[in-house]
Amino acid sequence: MRPVAPTVIDPQPGAPAPAQNVRRAPEGPGGPPPQASKGTPPGPAIVGIAVGALLAAGLSLGVRSSVHAAGVRLASPAVVAEKQAVAIADHAEAPYCTPAFKTVLQRVLNSCGLVGGDSARRGCQPADVKTFASISDADFNALFTPLKDRGAVIMFDEGSEKLDDEAKKLLEDKWQERKGARYFFVVARASKTGSPDNNRALSHKRANSVMFDLNEQFHDPDLDKQVGLLWLGNEFAQLGRDYCDWPSSRPGKTCNAEAINRSAFVSWVDCRL
Amino acid sequence: MTRNDPRVPAITALVASTLGLVFSSYSTFDYTAHLDRQIHAIHCSFIPGASASSDLENPCRAAMYSPYSAILRDKLWGGVPISLFGMGAFAFFVGFSLYLLLVGPRATRMAQWFFAATSVTPLLASIVMFFISLLRLGAFCKLCVGIYVSSVGLAVAGVLVARAALAEQKAEAQGAPPARARGSAVHPVAWLAALGAAALLPATAYASSVPDYRPYLASCGKLAVATEPHNALVKIATKRPVQPVTMFVDPLCPTCKALHERLVGEGVFEQLDVQASLFPLDNECNWMLDRPLHAGACVLAKAVLCGGPRSREVLEWAYSKQEELRIVGKTGNAPLKAAVVKQFGAELGTCMETRATQLRLNQHLQYAVANHVPVSTPQVFLGEKRLCDEDTDLGLRYTLGQLAPEVLP
Repeated sequence: MRPVAPTVIDPQPGAPAPAQNVRRAPEGPGGPPPQASKGTPPGPAIVGIAVGALLAAGLSLGVRSSVHAAGVRLASPAVVAEKQAVAIADHAEAPYCTPAFKTVLQRVLNSCGLVGGDSARRGCQPADVKTFASISDADFNALFTPLKDRGAVIMFDEGSEKLDDEAKKLLEDKWQERKGARYFFVVARASKTGSPDNNRALSHKRANSVMFDLNEQFHDPDLDKQVGLLWLGNEFAQLGRDYCDWPSSRPGKTCNAEAINRSAFVSWVDCRL
Repeated sequence: MTRNDPRVPAITALVASTLGLVFSSYSTFDYTAHLDRQIHAIHCSFIPGASASSDLENPCRAAMYSPYSAILRDKLWGGVPISLFGMGAFAFFVGFSLYLLLVGPRATRMAQWFFAATSVTPLLASIVMFFISLLRLGAFCKLCVGIYVSSVGLAVAGVLVARAALAEQKAEAQGAPPARARGSAVHPVAWLAALGAAALLPATAYASSVPDYRPYLASCGKLAVATEPHNALVKIATKRPVQPVTMFVDPLCPTCKALHERLVGEGVFEQLDVQASLFPLDNECNWMLDRPLHAGACVLAKAVLCGGPRSREVLEWAYSKQEELRIVGKTGNAPLKAAVVKQFGAELGTCMETRATQLRLNQHLQYAVANHVPVSTPQVFLGEKRLCDEDTDLGLRYTLGQLAPEVLP
């Protein structure tokens, strides 16, 4: 007769078997081997349960604590301050943007209709410039010296505000070299020839010619917010002959103190204002 | 200790489950640290205790940000990381293998078979995650590999136990006296319940303590200029666009690539009406940087602009070949352009060289300035609301569920 199957109730991590629950199978020939009939002591089960439970519970508490700590950091002002340290996209700021230069530019922007909501007003005439710039002619021109390679001198015929093909091409090239600049300045002048009133009007027309051409070529809806027009006639900040060396729409052609002032200096300005 | 020593499987199981516990704990605590919506260093080493890495592009971070690292992402910000379940399960196996080691040959047949059967469960999960890493993420995080190896170790221990049990049963069938007691059938049920409870306990503790993130979701500003005045932005074709999204992206930015893959992986991208504003972090065209962060990104940005109706294809090509293109980009623009021309033809290459394209790219950058976006990519605006950076990775699905549930599949 086959011996009765052993019915040892083993201990386990979830429910250790007390020793009295172990029922021994009959011993003797054909019976279970001694090791199978010994039962299992509760010690290993207790250790297993304790370690497993402590690990699971301890780690759960650790997780809860870590999540709570993250919540505290989330609400702390230090985190907010740290977040604000990220660089924000902005316009370029070239080395020539000195405080004096920016002061004049800011006054141009404020006084010539680019900022401040005075949309009816476009540009500044000589009297305005003299007033807001509050600097000498030479100092005014010196401010623009660093823009020699960034900008160009658009030249006109005597008594004319019409842009020739070279002027248009140069103007378009310069406009397309915007990079990080925010404002495009047009400083139009007239030569000493003629009366101040006529020259004032002529330089105004020259500035407008530049503006109209840009509008016609690029149809930029933001043009009014980008282009600052100044017309100086022959009353303020006339250019000297040395400006003939600057990039112009008529390179290689005869240039003198009269010719260089029949012009509009155009340039993007890489300053944050 | 010999190969046939009955303690070998238990010791193997104890070592493997302890290692699995350590690796999954690192993974879990790295995850919970990010619940403050900041970027932290994360552990990514085969050596437990090795210092954490701040590298933003390491595979462990990619795995953590992926849609596969957590469940219930649409219910909780960040979801419930699956490493929590691993952590709880390994804790159970540490206890059970310790029990097997201490009880030795007196362990019941039920205990043997229970262990043999359940020891493969971490391996099954690891196999799934392995193939996800291989096929979807294209990279293996070292912590994950540590967990995979631990799971293999545990399964090997289970196989050894099963083999021993089979040998004993075979001997018994041939008339040998029973080597061990059979044990009660109730015990495996209790053990299984204990395994389930251990696996669920950390996840329950986690889910019950996650903060309320709703106040933070729309706190990162909005588009100051909703419409680019020159109509210069790039329309990215999708199948069922229902939610306008403006994305500032860099074709060579790994984070942009990862976000794109997350959006595609989550099944969200096709529901987005995407307009891309190219924001290459390369000082060749971007004056906001003093050195190239992603050399060659300006070239690829122009390629995307010139892609026209194929812009998405160009962008996705750049993402898919990103590592290669970043290396080429460091050697100069010409080889990079050559790679573009080889892929998309000479016409696109010609377009890239025009002043109009240069001007258009500049308009993209000026658009970034007009909107005061941070100089980092990607930046995502859902309608006009800016998604905080942290809501584009860990919190992506939850945030979309809160702000634009219609885009979730």
